[in-house]
Amino acid sequence: MPTAASSTEALARSVADVGHLVRFRATRSGGRSARRAWVVLAALTLAALVVPLYLPGARTGARAFDVLLILPTAMAGVLLLATVAAVTTGGGRELLPREQAVAYPVSPTTDHLGALLLAPLNIAWLLQAWVLVGCTSYALGWQICLSAQPGILLWLVVATAAAQAAAWLVEGVRRYRHGIAVVRGTGLVLVGGAVAIQLTAGWGALVDRMPTVWLTVGLIGGFSWRWALTVVVELALVLVLVAIGAAAAHWADRRMPRDELRTETGTFVARPTPRTDLVLLVRLDWSSVWRTVPMRRGLATLAVAPGLMALAAQLPWTTIPVLAALSTAGGALLFGVNAWCLDGRGALWRASLPVGPEVVFAARSLVLGAMLLGASGVTIGLAALTAAAPTSAELAAVVATWLVVGLQVVSASMRWSGRHPYAVDLRSARATPAPPVAMVGYSARLAVSTTLTASFFSALAHLPDPRTSIAFALPFLCWSGLRLVRAQHRWCDPVLRARVIATVAA
Amino acid sequence: MHESSGPVVVVRGLRVRFGEVEAVAGIDLTAYAGQATALLGRNGAGKSTTMRVLAGVLPPTEGAALVAGHDLRTHSLAARQATGYCPDVGGLVPRATPWEHLQLAARLRRLDDWEDRGRDLLERFELGDVAHRVTAGFSHGMGRRLSVVLAALHRPAVLLLDEPFDGVDPVGVEATLEVVADARADGACVLVSTHLRELAVEACSTALVLRGGSEVAQLSAAEMAGEEGARAYRSLLD
Repeated sequence: MPTAASSTEALARSVADVGHLVRFRATRSGGRSARRAWVVLAALTLAALVVPLYLPGARTGARAFDVLLILPTAMAGVLLLATVAAVTTGGGRELLPREQAVAYPVSPTTDHLGALLLAPLNIAWLLQAWVLVGCTSYALGWQICLSAQPGILLWLVVATAAAQAAAWLVEGVRRYRHGIAVVRGTGLVLVGGAVAIQLTAGWGALVDRMPTVWLTVGLIGGFSWRWALTVVVELALVLVLVAIGAAAAHWADRRMPRDELRTETGTFVARPTPRTDLVLLVRLDWSSVWRTVPMRRGLATLAVAPGLMALAAQLPWTTIPVLAALSTAGGALLFGVNAWCLDGRGALWRASLPVGPEVVFAARSLVLGAMLLGASGVTIGLAALTAAAPTSAELAAVVATWLVVGLQVVSASMRWSGRHPYAVDLRSARATPAPPVAMVGYSARLAVSTTLTASFFSALAHLPDPRTSIAFALPFLCWSGLRLVRAQHRWCDPVLRARVIATVAA
Repeated sequence: MHESSGPVVVVRGLRVRFGEVEAVAGIDLTAYAGQATALLGRNGAGKSTTMRVLAGVLPPTEGAALVAGHDLRTHSLAARQATGYCPDVGGLVPRATPWEHLQLAARLRRLDDWEDRGRDLLERFELGDVAHRVTAGFSHGMGRRLSVVLAALHRPAVLLLDEPFDGVDPVGVEATLEVVADARADGACVLVSTHLRELAVEACSTALVLRGGSEVAQLSAAEMAGEEGARAYRSLLD
């Protein structure tokens, strides 16, 4: 019966369609900047693979052995965060935005494969992948690395496929009656379970029993039958999980996205008119952020997930700045890097209103800043719950990082928003504010700059005098503030502003 | 015609270029208070670009444009105070409600006691029931109707309606024609850009036909009416 044949044909067609869509997206992505983004990405990946091999103590030191011991946990961490990211985005990123895809026969399998392909193009996935690969290199050294790294890279594919399958299943449930409540309830139960394990100090026993231990043992012994078996198991897992994901994508596709529809058909009570233009503009922009499904979900995840991880790992205060910085950088990727897209096609009408462009700029920057500082503030707050009482130097370093990175990211976002606007519809939970390749560039740049800044202040936290962090924060703040003012001047230029508005409203 | 009251919109030698593309290639236009002028032409004729310039959204590359006595190059903010603009695409903030749109327009124009007129306009355009829902869930026609409401809220001296009839049902068309008539009666200068010749004839007293970014003819509504008018219009498009 043609069923098997037609399934194979459908799969082959979906794979071919992914190729067509990738080429279609590639032609619309900026040539030079896209190439630069890929080069940066490749360079960072290569650095993550090679640099740890030459670090002091690599393979032979006691620290290398410690790193080897935590490899299974790090592998599980990749799976956990990939799942959270995919579930948050309601099935992963779209290769072709929904409003454009309606004109083409794009099947859920194509959509699923496209989302799998795009999954690595986000800051959380990339950082985890680099850390995992780097830890493997550091712990095992050159010779063992040659056999272990392919297995680790395969694990990244397994984790991504598993996350994608889980995301479609959750999205399918979400689209049923009471599905949103079921998903939220399940999420709370899982968080409660994690807290209970934390309180009963049961993580150690759980970590020892994770299947990733079996995989790690298979990969670190060099080329052998055990290694081959491990790789075969990973390959089989990839195939099975991709198939499950495709089936789940078809299942979810048959139902309406309830969360998005609820926002679009819900009633929002009118509030009295505020006294100033700025307050009203801020309120309108804030409503636009909070009523957008991808931003609401993304913000909640970015604020809570890193905080919970810090809480579970009982991170020291010197590490918390890095975590908060990543939360801030991730927040900017929700809409900040293309901040003017928030108005969508309403940008033309808004531009015809009698209000100075500097007020509009200030409102958008304030909303972005509040959103980023709020998310990273929650992360810091959660991390602080299990951390020991900070010294004044540690506290100063955390506060300095929080403010410096916040302003740094707002400044960068507003500059990029003015230079590279994109017309995007943030209606779908899976939407991103810029095309995938641009998002890679933004992710890499934000990851590097914020991690470096946070690491610098983390180092200052070790110094006894808290004034050192404050003294170093001032030039950082002045520099970012100056660049933000320059971005505002650019926005006030009517020709440049018209270009941005015409683009985002197209 | 109210030409004795002086022109409200004066455009001289208007050119707008986007890189190599010249969207508007030297348009002259004079429009008066109490008069409605239609901008007609094929896609890409420069109608929407001209409207965007007059709305203060897009600065002209060359030429002069005066709106309600304000030079758009130097006093864009004052000109925007005097205009009401319904853009050709969307024109609505996706995740704001109609009421929030009205609130913003009223606040930025320092309108007091605007709520009753806002409610009345929403009812006339049959949008009263959805006043507190986000516009992302609106149909195209609903969005067009709300854009006209927003343009007309503050009884502007210059009403700019870009494709206001596009995809709008008969009730919406009727309400839009009423808004245009009311604005003219109040002494406003109305500019309507549309592809629909018959509706342009019904709403306006004069029509400016554009082709390839330039003005090719200025006709009275009577000359554009009926089959004769259709033939005349068709001949101007090629």
